[in-house]
Amino acid sequence: MTIALHDDNTIRLIGACPAEDGETLLQYLLANPKAEVDWRGCESAHTAVIQVLLVSGRALRGPAAGPFLERFIGPALARSRREVPPSPPGRKMRKR
Amino acid sequence: MNEFVEQFLLESRELVAQATDDLMALEDRPADKERLDGVFRAFHTLKGAAGIVEFAAMSRTLHAAEDILSALRASRQPISSNVLGECLACLDLTSRWLDAMQASGETPSAADRDADDMIARLVGAMTTDEDDKSPARTAAARDDWLDRLPAAASPSSGALTAIRYVPDPDAFFRGEDPLSIIASLPQLLAVELALTDQTLTPETIDTFNCSLEILALTKAPTAEVQSALRSIAERTDIRPLAPSAASPDSDDDLAQATSLLEAQIALLRVDGADGLSGRLESAGRTAANALLYLGRSGLAAAVEQAMTTSRSQRNAASLIAAIEQALTPEAEPPPAPGTAVPVASRALRVDMDRIDALVKLTGELIVVKNAIGHAAKRIAGDEDPAAIASILRDQHALFDRLANELQGAVLRIRVLPLRTVFRRFPRLVREIAGNVGKSIRLITEGEATEADATIVDALFEPLLHVLRNAVDHGIETPEQRASAGKPAMGTIVLHGRREADTVRIEIEDDGGGIDVDRVRAVAAAHGLASEQALAAMTEAEAVELIFAPGFSTAATVSDLSGRGVGMDSVRAAVERLGGTVTLRSRAGTGTTVTLSLPFSLMMTRVMTVEVAGQAFGLPLDTVLETTIVARDMIVPIGSGRAFVLRDRTIPLVDLADTLGLARDASSREAAKVVVVSAAGQIGGLEVDRLGERLDVMLKPMEGLLGCMTSVAGTTLLGDGRILVVLDVQEMFG
Repeated sequence: MTIALHDDNTIRLIGACPAEDGETLLQYLLANPKAEVDWRGCESAHTAVIQVLLVSGRALRGPAAGPFLERFIGPALARSRREVPPSPPGRKMRKR
Repeated sequence: MNEFVEQFLLESRELVAQATDDLMALEDRPADKERLDGVFRAFHTLKGAAGIVEFAAMSRTLHAAEDILSALRASRQPISSNVLGECLACLDLTSRWLDAMQASGETPSAADRDADDMIARLVGAMTTDEDDKSPARTAAARDDWLDRLPAAASPSSGALTAIRYVPDPDAFFRGEDPLSIIASLPQLLAVELALTDQTLTPETIDTFNCSLEILALTKAPTAEVQSALRSIAERTDIRPLAPSAASPDSDDDLAQATSLLEAQIALLRVDGADGLSGRLESAGRTAANALLYLGRSGLAAAVEQAMTTSRSQRNAASLIAAIEQALTPEAEPPPAPGTAVPVASRALRVDMDRIDALVKLTGELIVVKNAIGHAAKRIAGDEDPAAIASILRDQHALFDRLANELQGAVLRIRVLPLRTVFRRFPRLVREIAGNVGKSIRLITEGEATEADATIVDALFEPLLHVLRNAVDHGIETPEQRASAGKPAMGTIVLHGRREADTVRIEIEDDGGGIDVDRVRAVAAAHGLASEQALAAMTEAEAVELIFAPGFSTAATVSDLSGRGVGMDSVRAAVERLGGTVTLRSRAGTGTTVTLSLPFSLMMTRVMTVEVAGQAFGLPLDTVLETTIVARDMIVPIGSGRAFVLRDRTIPLVDLADTLGLARDASSREAAKVVVVSAAGQIGGLEVDRLGERLDVMLKPMEGLLGCMTSVAGTTLLGDGRILVVLDVQEMFG
């Protein structure tokens, strides 16, 4: 398991999270709006997973296990959380 | 006209309108950040759309405008009227191009010359706006992403190269991991992440789409970085950073800025009106730039605002006050009160023809209305009732026809062809197949089949999951196919068709079919069913396990369970739309997944039944048949009752009991039974009387009644009574 939900309030990322975990993580985040993400066991994560973390702005319990995540991605996510204003409702383009 | 061009024209017009609205609003409130962001997004999307149809001149022009808007966004300066004017002119030009394309179907020939003129005007607007004095600012505008790098401001970091990398949105599909490329850069110092689309929220994001902008700083020389990133060169912007001789740390910065700000105040306090406006301008700009350099953009904006005020009042007081305010420690003013967040309404594009049809029908309805008024007058005039009755009957027939047509026309407005979602797949399938080393062609059929817009919109994700499964697991590798005597290229057929009130979409692959033993093994491993239960299942039942929640999890990227996107999510998505998913697999020859969806979410066909003197509706798609069962054929089973229909035991539910109604004793002869299918089961509902079939517009229960179970909604009957339509699924569930 690279992603798991504990007690409805912690989403754990473990080991090397592949691209597919992005969707799983998103579903967990949407289903558990208060849950915290714990990535202390996370060695590496695909960009798709990082993107979901960035969009969600959810609090992270770290530091991450992987050095790249710990040194660069964690701080970048933290900065974006401070800067991100509440986003306006997205204008969805209609296709036909 | 090419369909892409058609869509491009539609979307571009919407975007032009949206950008114009935002620009007009900016004219009133030049510092409205929300609106500026809106304009920027619209220009950005327009540029992208132009790129898709290969309209280079338009793309170029909009790019120039986008640069200016992006600089404005970064500087947080209010938009000046000449920039605003040129942006509007740019939209006008775009509109003219769109008109020309609509007429000829081709990109206008003179576009390049117009584009050059427009770009020159845009650049001109920006430079006059910058007062020609601060070339540094224009440069900063072009490199505004550099400012967003946290460490870029302090040259002491020793950073030599800055990188901006915007991965292809389809990067994930191609199996790329953009951040891993950045992670492998030598001597990395900092990484900054941003979304290319600021409006993305967890609710709207597509996790399969890369919407990231990645900024990075490294100590490695530019040439080394360039060679490391050669594979993604066209999506990166690599800039050398000038190493600074002096390396002041941030305390020095602050001290320098403070003395700079104090000097500006001294300059402004010099008496005498001569050169006041020049001094105001220069002091204001210097102070604002110093504050920007310190990252105090809020204060910088305040200073610039004060500069404008001072200039118009010909008095330095406000500017002095603003700079002094900035000198007060930690004087960042509170954020501007939140501007009203515009709620985006859900827009639906409609063909003019369909609206015209509605207009025509409205006209005909007015004729009928007049005729009925005329008939009423004739009744008052004591005319022969039989003649008037005949007139009314005629008008009623006419009215009936028109009402039907009107209903049909309104429903057609909400209808889209499946093409809108189908056409995205051929490219995706080719890419997914390429990733797994298979060659597969996707044949789409029945793209013209229409369905409710809500349904068509929601189909993309489930269809994508099914197609991915077909590519990943359905189609065998070329070697396996060759040894099975099949052509090396696999075929997936995506087929849509309309069947009565149902839209059916089949995804058929010519792969190896589903390995039922593997399914059993995986299901056992996941504890979905006991070994005995699994052994007792028929093949069809075992295949159904693929839809069980938990069958597919991200951790088991096995041959069968796929990429963590389970078939259970497909079933859930389709059932949310009121549809069903079925799967048929033939060992060695392929798998067919069938999605059945209602044509429209609005119209429901119901059958009316009567129980204890009240009428109820049953959705006709759940009704299998009606039958009469003799009392002695109904046998009690446990706490319930059942009867046998064609050798099949069917549980029987008394609708009156279920609804808590008292049944009168007269109905004790033979039971009238409606056989319904709900949640995959068959059941019988005993009723007093069987009624008629009706097409109804179902209104869902609202307010206090909203929480009632077993009720799908209500509709009005011809005589004004309310018909309650029951939700059979919930009654048996």
